[in-house]
Amino acid sequence: MTFVDCDANATTSLFLSRSSISTEGNKTGSWRFVRPVYQNKTAPCSAACPAGADIGRIEMLVAQGQFRAAWESLLMENPFPAVCGRVCFHPCEEACNRSNFDESIGIHRVERWLGDHAIREKFLFPLKTRNTNGKRIAIAGAGPAGLSAAYFLARLGYDCDVFESSGEPGGILRWGIPAYRLPASVLNQEISRILELGVTLHCDTPVDDAFLAEAGDRYQAIFVGCGHSRSMPLNIPGTELAGDGLNFLYRVRNHEIDSVRGRIGVIGGGNTAIDVARTLIRLGAEVLLIYRRRRQDMPAFSHEVEMAVAEGIELLELAAPIHIESSGERFGVTLQRMKPGEQQLSGRCQVVPDGQKTKTIHVDQVFMAIGAEAEDIWAPPASSQENVLRLSHCTVVQGRSPIIFGGDLTNPVQSVTDAIASGKEAAMAIDLIITESVEDIPGTLESCRVGKGPALSMDAFLMGERRNRSSRLVNYTDLNTDYFQNLEAASPPALSPAQARKSFDEIDGTFSARQAMDEAGRCFNCGICNGCDNCRLFCPELAVTLEDDRTINLDYCKGCGVCVQECPRSAMALEEERS
Amino acid sequence: MRQVLEGSHAVSEAVRLARVEVMSAYPITPQTHIVEALSEFCADGSMNARFLCVESEHSAMAAVIGASSAGARTFTATSSQGLALMHELLHWASGARLPIVMAEVNRALAPGWNIWMDQTDSLAQRDTGWIQLYCEDGQDVLDTTLQAFRLAELTNLPVMVVLDAFFLSHTYEPVDVPDQASVDRFLPAGPPRACLNASEPFAIGQMAPPGVYMEMRHDIQQGMSAVPGCFDRVENDFETIFGRKYGPLETVECHDADIILVMAGTAVSTCRQVVSDLRHQGEKAGLVKLKMFRPFPIEQIRQAFGRAKKIAVVDRNVSFGIGGIFAQEIRAALCNTAEKPPVYSYITGLGGRDVTPEMLAEIYWTTKNSPSPSDESIWVGLNKELGRS
Repeated sequence: MTFVDCDANATTSLFLSRSSISTEGNKTGSWRFVRPVYQNKTAPCSAACPAGADIGRIEMLVAQGQFRAAWESLLMENPFPAVCGRVCFHPCEEACNRSNFDESIGIHRVERWLGDHAIREKFLFPLKTRNTNGKRIAIAGAGPAGLSAAYFLARLGYDCDVFESSGEPGGILRWGIPAYRLPASVLNQEISRILELGVTLHCDTPVDDAFLAEAGDRYQAIFVGCGHSRSMPLNIPGTELAGDGLNFLYRVRNHEIDSVRGRIGVIGGGNTAIDVARTLIRLGAEVLLIYRRRRQDMPAFSHEVEMAVAEGIELLELAAPIHIESSGERFGVTLQRMKPGEQQLSGRCQVVPDGQKTKTIHVDQVFMAIGAEAEDIWAPPASSQENVLRLSHCTVVQGRSPIIFGGDLTNPVQSVTDAIASGKEAAMAIDLIITESVEDIPGTLESCRVGKGPALSMDAFLMGERRNRSSRLVNYTDLNTDYFQNLEAASPPALSPAQARKSFDEIDGTFSARQAMDEAGRCFNCGICNGCDNCRLFCPELAVTLEDDRTINLDYCKGCGVCVQECPRSAMALEEERS
Repeated sequence: MRQVLEGSHAVSEAVRLARVEVMSAYPITPQTHIVEALSEFCADGSMNARFLCVESEHSAMAAVIGASSAGARTFTATSSQGLALMHELLHWASGARLPIVMAEVNRALAPGWNIWMDQTDSLAQRDTGWIQLYCEDGQDVLDTTLQAFRLAELTNLPVMVVLDAFFLSHTYEPVDVPDQASVDRFLPAGPPRACLNASEPFAIGQMAPPGVYMEMRHDIQQGMSAVPGCFDRVENDFETIFGRKYGPLETVECHDADIILVMAGTAVSTCRQVVSDLRHQGEKAGLVKLKMFRPFPIEQIRQAFGRAKKIAVVDRNVSFGIGGIFAQEIRAALCNTAEKPPVYSYITGLGGRDVTPEMLAEIYWTTKNSPSPSDESIWVGLNKELGRS
């Protein structure tokens, strides 16, 4: 240390402590008792996504204009971005931390834009696939679960034969979801991408238990994802007079019906009932939707119910059909007036008959859509059996060749994205059985969980970056929201209900690239470093260096924690030093 | 060009003309108008400066210390509680010999909350090594602010320009705002004497052990001792260009005065009238306007008071347990001289209470009619119905 008296000619002297000896000798790191670490954590949206999509990172990449990288990240976990962007009920958005700040990110809209953009720009399949290993897997059902299983297995090097009873692949996506929600062209493009991985599709080839019995000779494993294809009957007199809603949707998609006239009754309150009702409106009918509980108790997504009502569907609540009879060309449906009971059943209101109040309505046709179930032969065996392993989204039955039941057959929630989750889990389980052993399944799957939830990451399975990501979920209170500004969520163009009901044209438009980037830019990127550089800029010791990556020079880091505090997105953590 | 300006904006104009490069401040009434105008100057491009928004006065002072250490011309402003919060860093600024200029709007300290004029906040910082200059009116505060930058850079000591809350900060008066070219001549941008240099790195403000600390403190004291001489140089240059000069203190009718009233701030203007009235009545009254408080201009004080029979000091401040602060300082300045007139100490006008001509006349007559000063300061203008007064 030296003391310098500068400029002897000046009015006053300056006797200051000043040293040209580098302060590098003062290793302030010795003061430290906690150390900052870069630690990517789990965003709540990705843990809420049944497919475990790396949403925080995808939004970051879209916001940065890195569309191919974003698409690659999406395809890593989900073979159906353009489909899911349209039909998923997006639980991610309910979990979005931004909902505590202003409004959730329109994750499904960004996903849809990305999926559509990749199709439009003819992006090549970006992911590495393993070389074929010559092992063959049979897959029963070309719905979202079966196709997903084939997709993930093909990437892992397996040769897949997919058997489909109908004439085209897609299952519920093709036959159950009307075109105004999911145009066939979008579905076809995404299925083609799966088939191009080397998956062999056998349409018009229904499988049965005899197939299962002999498939073990030719296949190393069998995945059964036959879905809930049989409508549940309504056990009332005259039930045979009512049309099957699912079958009706199938025939419309198969161009067997292009017009319906008159007043039509639809019985049910789920998404299928709403789809049937809205399809009928588009075919020219007048629709009466009959539901035994109240509107708010409907299992259908509330947005879909709203749209149905806006399109002109008449809703009859608290009306339970007790009898259907034919009277000439028409049908009489006798309804028992219901009223809310005192018990609450899992959030839905229980209803009881309201005395003897009944009435009969007259309609030209009546459809039932009160739920669907599996064909009897596909019931998975009970998990209490010794050779049965129950996983979160499928059931493994061990044998000469293991059989894995998945999709709606085993899923606690019957949704498209849960079906994808099932296909992914089955692919992981099959790979583990073939390359390791069945005992390895629970432990390995545990290390591939997104957060602590049921969703699995294929990236983690393939020992990618997500394998090392902290499973800790980022809460809203973990964020430093001083760095965020209120921004309104963007909305793509959409048809008005009056326009929408005139055709099967898709109702919701897609974002422009600018909108998608802006919307993705609203994302907090919870737990994901997006290179904002706050840690480096705020470090009072200049102990953060940026070359290819940011590193902390522990010789000088005092462990003050400023970097962790100023990280807007909780992508850093403080760890206690081990003495 | 003469303009009608609020006192606060007279400061802002001076800061703009001084081509300050970095400013940082935290708003506090009654100071806010000063930095509000400055932030607008930054926004509209009429100032080429960085305005750093911070979360406290402590950080505001820290920010200008950083900028000044890097060689920038800096400015900040505060008041009352904000100044008190800066206290630690006021020592740092002077210890590091940084030529920072700060406008300090005299405001009372809480509790009870009071946003009005009171000198105790700035006087409580008298030992921090800052030069303190008190202002009487809008012209005075504009000129003093310009001078402050020259003085600070000449002596490498920080300068506090002090102005009364509301009586000055919020009062509109005609002020001659000089043109930029003249100000540039008076206050050229020069290389700072000591500042950080990235191409020749060194560290500042490190450990100073017992073997050197005392010499460093002595060096600051020597710097302070040089201030009156430097101020005179600065004022002479200022007078050459702008035709105005103030002095560390100003004497009014003191040459033959028997009783001299002493005060700082806007009350001086009131007292000019009172002294004039007393002179018309045949009284040998005089007035000393205290402008410089740190360093305390002992020599000029002694010269001004040498012939007087009595000194009456009007303090709009209080050091509890001893009384008016200006009075204490003046007593100390006079006690070792042969002819030392008795010093009468009066406290009035605290917390924004008006100091009227009648009160100042009362102080004069009380001083004249009392054969010797009391030990304790006399509080003038207390409401007998409130408290145990």
